[in-house]
Amino acid sequence: MKHASLVVLALIPALFSGCKPAATTPAESGRLFGVSFQTMNNPFFVELNEGLKSVIAPRGDRLVTLDAQWNSLKQKNDVADLLQQRPAAVFINPVNWEGVKGTLIEARRKNVPVIIVDAPVSDPDLVLCQVASDNFEAGRLACEALARVNPNAKIVVLHLSVNRACIDRVEGFKAEMAKHPGMRILDIQEGKGSAEGARPVMRDLLGRFPELDAVFPINDPSALGAISAIEAAGRAGQVTVVTVDGSREGAAAVRAGKLHATVAQFPKEIGRIAAEKAYAHLEGKPVEKDIKVPVQLITRENVAAFLESR
Amino acid sequence: MKSAEQARNKPVSLPVEEKSRKPIGLSLGAVRTFAPLLAAIAVLLVLFSLWVPQGRFLTPANLVDLTQQISVNAILAFGLTLVILIGGIDLSVGAVVAAAGVVAVSLLNTTGPLGACAGGIGVAVFFGLANGLFAARTLMPPFIITLATMLIARGFALGFNESRPLPIAEHQELFLALGNARWGGWLPMPVILMFGVFLLSTVLLHGTRFGQHLFAIGGNREAARFTGIAIARHEVLVYAFCGACAGLAGIIHASQLYSAEPAAGMGFELSAIAAVVLGGTSFSGGIGTIPGTLLGAIIIGILDKGLNQAGVHFSLQYIVKGAVILAAVWYDVFRRNRKR
Repeated sequence: MKHASLVVLALIPALFSGCKPAATTPAESGRLFGVSFQTMNNPFFVELNEGLKSVIAPRGDRLVTLDAQWNSLKQKNDVADLLQQRPAAVFINPVNWEGVKGTLIEARRKNVPVIIVDAPVSDPDLVLCQVASDNFEAGRLACEALARVNPNAKIVVLHLSVNRACIDRVEGFKAEMAKHPGMRILDIQEGKGSAEGARPVMRDLLGRFPELDAVFPINDPSALGAISAIEAAGRAGQVTVVTVDGSREGAAAVRAGKLHATVAQFPKEIGRIAAEKAYAHLEGKPVEKDIKVPVQLITRENVAAFLESR
Repeated sequence: MKSAEQARNKPVSLPVEEKSRKPIGLSLGAVRTFAPLLAAIAVLLVLFSLWVPQGRFLTPANLVDLTQQISVNAILAFGLTLVILIGGIDLSVGAVVAAAGVVAVSLLNTTGPLGACAGGIGVAVFFGLANGLFAARTLMPPFIITLATMLIARGFALGFNESRPLPIAEHQELFLALGNARWGGWLPMPVILMFGVFLLSTVLLHGTRFGQHLFAIGGNREAARFTGIAIARHEVLVYAFCGACAGLAGIIHASQLYSAEPAAGMGFELSAIAAVVLGGTSFSGGIGTIPGTLLGAIIIGILDKGLNQAGVHFSLQYIVKGAVILAAVWYDVFRRNRKR
């Protein structure tokens, strides 16, 4: 009896693949696009997704958004599911820049173009193009802004060293620092890229280094954590904070004078450009491999205009 | 003590009350256990074949993909079935996936694929043995023990390569084949490995005396002790087996992703527990089957894939999955109580 039910089960797929045409909805209009984000628990990716949609939806095409929840295996499976549906193109924001390779090979085998958004991958040959903020330039601009007010800054860095974009920011920061011999990095610590993660680390660093007078937390959330630690230690106004992100909260802190500068990224723009490149490729036009979306330094002078434009 | 135990061991007849406690055969009990799961799978397949546009759900390629996608979760769930069956729990399997992966990939270039796999599974068995020894020899609840070893294994894994992914060199074809090769051009290697573990654990649980003892321990630990079953030894072996499964899963995971991730496997324990529970294993121990767990893993896999391909928003996917698990377990509990 058990065998009977197993046989029935085995027959079900056969049965249904037999009547496939009947199951097909005749007027499935528009092409399918898919995007897989490393996480949707960050306004940055929500805005990036809106940017994609702003190009795809008006053309009557469909965008399926998937959240990998920081799980590269889930991302691999999600994209495999998409590829089975023969999408026109797939956008991937990789959890693991090495781990996405199998997915890219599979997409190539199925002839589906892949556009990488926000974070680079280790095999650029396997993708149509990569669209990301110019993170190196963002780090450089942050350092430049700091050098203008404090050319002899004693700096600590609150890193998120598992993240490729943050690695690039710190590299850009260091490259600019080389031009300012008076600047010195006292220490680089893991700030976990979040306010909760950065606050205690910053508090410890303030205790360890009385001469500390500047901090480069690699994004707005960790900058806000650092600021609250600085205020708690009674050193508000003595430590210059520069960062990268340009979120609403970060810009508000710039306006309030707590954050000296944040270098804004434009996630909506990244999404818009990525989607346009996909359509350009589908129309047979050539597409550049590596597209850096410009960043913008936000300080007290231009913060009002920036907040208005958002 | 040991001889006394053995002497008492001989004339034991085990307290077998329920059909599902028997070894799996062509019994009516097996049908009763699996029919609802098979029915659920059939319903989901029909549902998604109608829902997913252009009939792209029930294609051979998509179903082969499905089996590949459930393989890591199913292998973890087979090991966890035995643990949950004896009234335990292992929260460390997700972190052990990462630990085994980073150890295997670190060894790969010096020892070759065989040494790498041995090292990865070795580390995983070590964590399993530690879990088992603490569970058997102390009064600490397994939930707390494995919560602690989860943190230790995670910290161990994060210590490699500054917590960044360790890439697998392109020339390590044999190791990469474990996760990516397709036998005969279509059957994915992870699926073959999954069936290997499935057969092994099915025989172990449903075809040996050892397995029968596990049902006895899970059903009534004190009674099992009085019948002379060496509970501690069984417990240690069960946790070690669960660790070995996590080790194999870790190796497949690393191979599939062309890299070992120190942060891999977070939350994998929860998906695996969901598969075990959906498959009809009782959380209080004593009731459960390996084929049931496989069906549970298949149900979760179909849900994941079907909801993705039907284009359901990811926020809604969480809710649907939660609701399905809740409904399935509720139905199971209801059915069991009615039988009594």
